[in-house]
Amino acid sequence: MKKDLLVLLAVVLLAVFVIRGTEIQSVDEYYLTHIDDISEDSETVFLSIRCDTILENWDALDSALRSEQYVPKDGVILQKTEYVLRPGDSVFDLLSRATRHHKIQMEYQGVRDNGYGSAYIRGIHYLYEFSCGPLSGWLYTVNGAFPGYGCSKYFPKDGDVIEWKYTCDLGRDVGNDSGSGLQGR
Amino acid sequence: MKAFGALHPLVLFCYFIAVLFLSAFTSHPVLLALSLLGAVCFWATLEQGGGFWRSMGYYAVLFLLIAVTNPLFSHNGVTPLFFLNGNPVTLEAILMGIDIAALMVSIIFWCKCYSLVMTSDKFLYLFGRIVPKLSLVLSMALRFIPLFQNQAQRVGRAQKAMGLYAGTSYVDKLRGGLRVFSVMVTWSLENAVDTGDSMRARGYGLKGRTSFSLFRFTLRDGVFLAGTAILFAAVLAGMRMGYLHFTFYPEVAPVQTALAAIWCYVCYGLLAFLPFILETEENLKWIYSVSKI
Repeated sequence: MKKDLLVLLAVVLLAVFVIRGTEIQSVDEYYLTHIDDISEDSETVFLSIRCDTILENWDALDSALRSEQYVPKDGVILQKTEYVLRPGDSVFDLLSRATRHHKIQMEYQGVRDNGYGSAYIRGIHYLYEFSCGPLSGWLYTVNGAFPGYGCSKYFPKDGDVIEWKYTCDLGRDVGNDSGSGLQGR
Repeated sequence: MKAFGALHPLVLFCYFIAVLFLSAFTSHPVLLALSLLGAVCFWATLEQGGGFWRSMGYYAVLFLLIAVTNPLFSHNGVTPLFFLNGNPVTLEAILMGIDIAALMVSIIFWCKCYSLVMTSDKFLYLFGRIVPKLSLVLSMALRFIPLFQNQAQRVGRAQKAMGLYAGTSYVDKLRGGLRVFSVMVTWSLENAVDTGDSMRARGYGLKGRTSFSLFRFTLRDGVFLAGTAILFAAVLAGMRMGYLHFTFYPEVAPVQTALAAIWCYVCYGLLAFLPFILETEENLKWIYSVSKI
């Protein structure tokens, strides 16, 4: 019986460890209602999310997503908006904060869940990688150029313009001919 | 009381292939619910008594585990319920998890029914002549788990009789179980080699050898084979024409209620419940006959 109790204790400890490592939030807690105010001396960046390429490749799109509800007519999911750049913010932090503020759905693969050492954006606004053909997914540019770093490894500067773009052709249709810089791949 | 099992092996084999194929290649919740219910009902007629409820409890736990796994890894869907480490747990992902669980558990149940109905003599009767080696390997693989369980129980009883790990503590039981498992691994390897040698010594698979069997293809078998083929073709046609298309992401699609789709559900339901209907009919006949004595 003594052995049983020891094993039980170990199992309970493990369960407590796992539960303490998980953070559970309700929907209202997760979505931000208020975001940092822009003041005179705060550093800011511009962020936009677009999916124009899907409109050109409508036939390749997953049939469940062929609706204006998921793909806006003008391809704009988030207008170019100015956000406060907190010290140490990566592109991922900014995207996360922006989507939480605007209640835009976003799914990412955490830093520890892949081999690239960076968070990977799997889908924004129900548009996922591979939703529009085998070469589709999300990419980002900073001031029009593809940085070639994972989005949680790139730290923008004051005044940078960050654009998240959906590609249907491994980046070639949004102006990245090298094939590199695909969220750091 | 084995009305379905008394059919010709060819009919049984075709039936199980048809049902397994359709269950494995659909994600439509109506079809999967029918498939799961049909398989469980059929299995209930085959396995009566305490074994049924014990297995049901075990598979209910497995069902829940599979259903819970999907929302932990898939965060798509328009209805977030709560957020786990910054990723949403959505209603759609949970429903899809239940769907996947129904698919997997129904396939497990069909396979359990298969192993009870398609005994290895039937399988060897069908394929022993055409592909002797492969059919021997397959029939050995299919009876491996039941044989393993049976032998493990015997080894476990022998260990207990010798007084090893006989304590009441769960840790002791676990250690005893591990010991039995290591015995079983060696035993099963040896047993497989022995079986192969034994079959060779009997001249299995040699040219010109015949084997005795009692199976005859009757009109009843023909009717069932044709029925299975027609139902299978009907559901397959429905799948190809997109009536059985179903998506969970980003929003759960409505269940199609077009007339053709309903016909597909009816056909699939008939196919899945065919063995259960047959067994129940036989049981009723038996009860009726007994009551007349």
